[in-house]
Amino acid sequence: MAETTFRTLITAFTDFLTVAIHTILWERSIYPKTSFLSARKYNFPVKQNRHPKVCEWINDAVTAVESELLKGRVHSVGVVIFTKDSKPLERFVFDVSRFPDVPVDDLDTLLQSGDADEPQSILPVVEMEEQFRATLSKLTASRTSLGPAPEGCTFTVAIELKPDALAPVSHPQPWIPAQVADDENDGATARHPTAKTTPLRAIKAGEMKFEAWIEEAGSDAADG
Amino acid sequence: MAQDYSEYLAINVLNEQQVVSYRTLSRALKVHVNLAKQMLYDFHRKQNAKKPSSVHATYLITGTRVAQSTSKTNGIYSQDGEDTVMRSSPPIPGSSPTKQTGDSGEDEDIPTRSVLLVRQEHLEKATATFEHIAGKHVYSLQPGSLSDIQVLSDCNRRIVSTYAAEDPLVAWKQYGTIQDPNVKRRTQGQRPPPPVAPPAAKSAVGSKPAATAGKPATLERQASRASDVSISSAKATPEPNGTANAKKSAASKPPATKRQSSDIFKSFAKGGSKAKKETPDTSAAPSPALVPVADEPMGGMSDDDADDTVEDAEVEVRAGSGKLRKDRQAELEAMMDAEDEPMDDTAESGIDSRTEPGPKQQVEAAEELAETMTVENGRRRGRRRVMKKKTVKDEEGYLVTKEEAVWESFSEDEPAPKKAKMAPVPAVAKSGAAAKKAGNPGQGNIMSFFGKK
Repeated sequence: MAETTFRTLITAFTDFLTVAIHTILWERSIYPKTSFLSARKYNFPVKQNRHPKVCEWINDAVTAVESELLKGRVHSVGVVIFTKDSKPLERFVFDVSRFPDVPVDDLDTLLQSGDADEPQSILPVVEMEEQFRATLSKLTASRTSLGPAPEGCTFTVAIELKPDALAPVSHPQPWIPAQVADDENDGATARHPTAKTTPLRAIKAGEMKFEAWIEEAGSDAADG
Repeated sequence: MAQDYSEYLAINVLNEQQVVSYRTLSRALKVHVNLAKQMLYDFHRKQNAKKPSSVHATYLITGTRVAQSTSKTNGIYSQDGEDTVMRSSPPIPGSSPTKQTGDSGEDEDIPTRSVLLVRQEHLEKATATFEHIAGKHVYSLQPGSLSDIQVLSDCNRRIVSTYAAEDPLVAWKQYGTIQDPNVKRRTQGQRPPPPVAPPAAKSAVGSKPAATAGKPATLERQASRASDVSISSAKATPEPNGTANAKKSAASKPPATKRQSSDIFKSFAKGGSKAKKETPDTSAAPSPALVPVADEPMGGMSDDDADDTVEDAEVEVRAGSGKLRKDRQAELEAMMDAEDEPMDDTAESGIDSRTEPGPKQQVEAAEELAETMTVENGRRRGRRRVMKKKTVKDEEGYLVTKEEAVWESFSEDEPAPKKAKMAPVPAVAKSGAAAKKAGNPGQGNIMSFFGKK
């Protein structure tokens, strides 16, 4: 694609993130299955929630993630499933630290591959979609390895910032700084002991490089 | 062979956690699909013997179902997440037993063949709903129970993308796809230029092929309504007709459009050219050719305009084509006489025969291209077009009143002297029409009128 800017890269990722969140909600039965309708994305059947508030919330969350991504502050994005008692059950993590580091002024500049010998595409769409499909397919299959989620779970979206990045404090404030005990916003050290990490996929398509995995909380003995 | 498939399935289903359908297996191992189904079944059995529930299966059941009253919620699809009822091919009128999976409770016990995809946990329940099972086999294997059965569609997509290079005419024997023996590959390769070409060509040159495309498309549309064939076939047919009838000018398109909107206009019972509203209602998908071009006359017309001037304008818009309003009307009438009801062959042939007069009329009309009027000695005479109402009884018994333009010759005095003063002209010049005699005094009268001033 000749016209890839950093912004389009991020947009492609956030689209994928939206679909992934809907898929996670479906798989983990956060909302009743009847509230989902079938759709297709990247030529793959996916489920999308119908409730307007849910969609709105997800879109707002993803927009907030996007603005942080554009500033290059994000280390990883996580979709966390909590039990009824607000204890994290599992987390679907997308590690985006490998996205190119682009200063704010250059958000809309065309990106070009640094390798002068082999002009690679920054964002090969076909490959990227293929890999997205594979990831989504793995997400759906993850249901078996995770075991059923208990009743009344809820979810949220969390981001982990890069060590040198400033916290997103603005008005109105889209992000709430989480407590250290809840293992967000403070680097990998303060993490809950995870019992099990299941890798999903490492996507590598041009500059779109990220990894996805599932972490399960230690206290929960989830069977495979 | 036995080793291959176990290995393949072990890798794909267990390790990579993918869904493997019998089709993917057959393509991957180059075996017949029936053999692939057996392989799936075998693997499933063995794996579950080793470790229960390591592999899940989806089954395909074909057969006749017991009359469904409960499990159908909104008609065909039941989105309750349990079973996905796959539709068998949609009913083509007059064809064979395979019908759509029934909406509940047919009154007459129409034998309905159902094709059902079920997950393994629902297998017993589903088999119970079948009265008679024609076939049952494993459709796919996956590591866990499928939450969304539509994920299976991805298998087929993968097959298509991976194995697109194989020639299906060769490969079918190996895989066991159902093949029509009469099918042969098209050598030409050139797809006929679709009637989308017309919108680009508003000029006279382009309008001709456009017209031909438009006209046959209309004919096809009528035919297709009867047989429920999709409009895309209508678009394909302009090609054979495209070269024929090049004489038909673009003005035949308005009749084509009128044909399409004739259903509405029947109720207005006016000549089609008067009440032109562009509503692509009856035909399923009015070919794009007609719509943009027909917008042109739309803009120029309003319902209450005087006929002739407007028609003339329209003719000019048509880039001075030779087609006259009368002919258009005649063709329109020809087409309107056929129905808006589902057509049958008689109507279709009726249209065909009626369009024959069309070109003939066009030829003869070309001679009388314009209204002519001559003034001879103060007497107007000539040919002109006049709107005349004609009430016709239709085939169906409907009275249809149409206005049509009719040529008539007229001669009339000049407006000023009403009294046709047959002046005492010497009766010598009888060869000159009597009008001439009257003309002279008339002229004289006028001049005398002005002379006074």
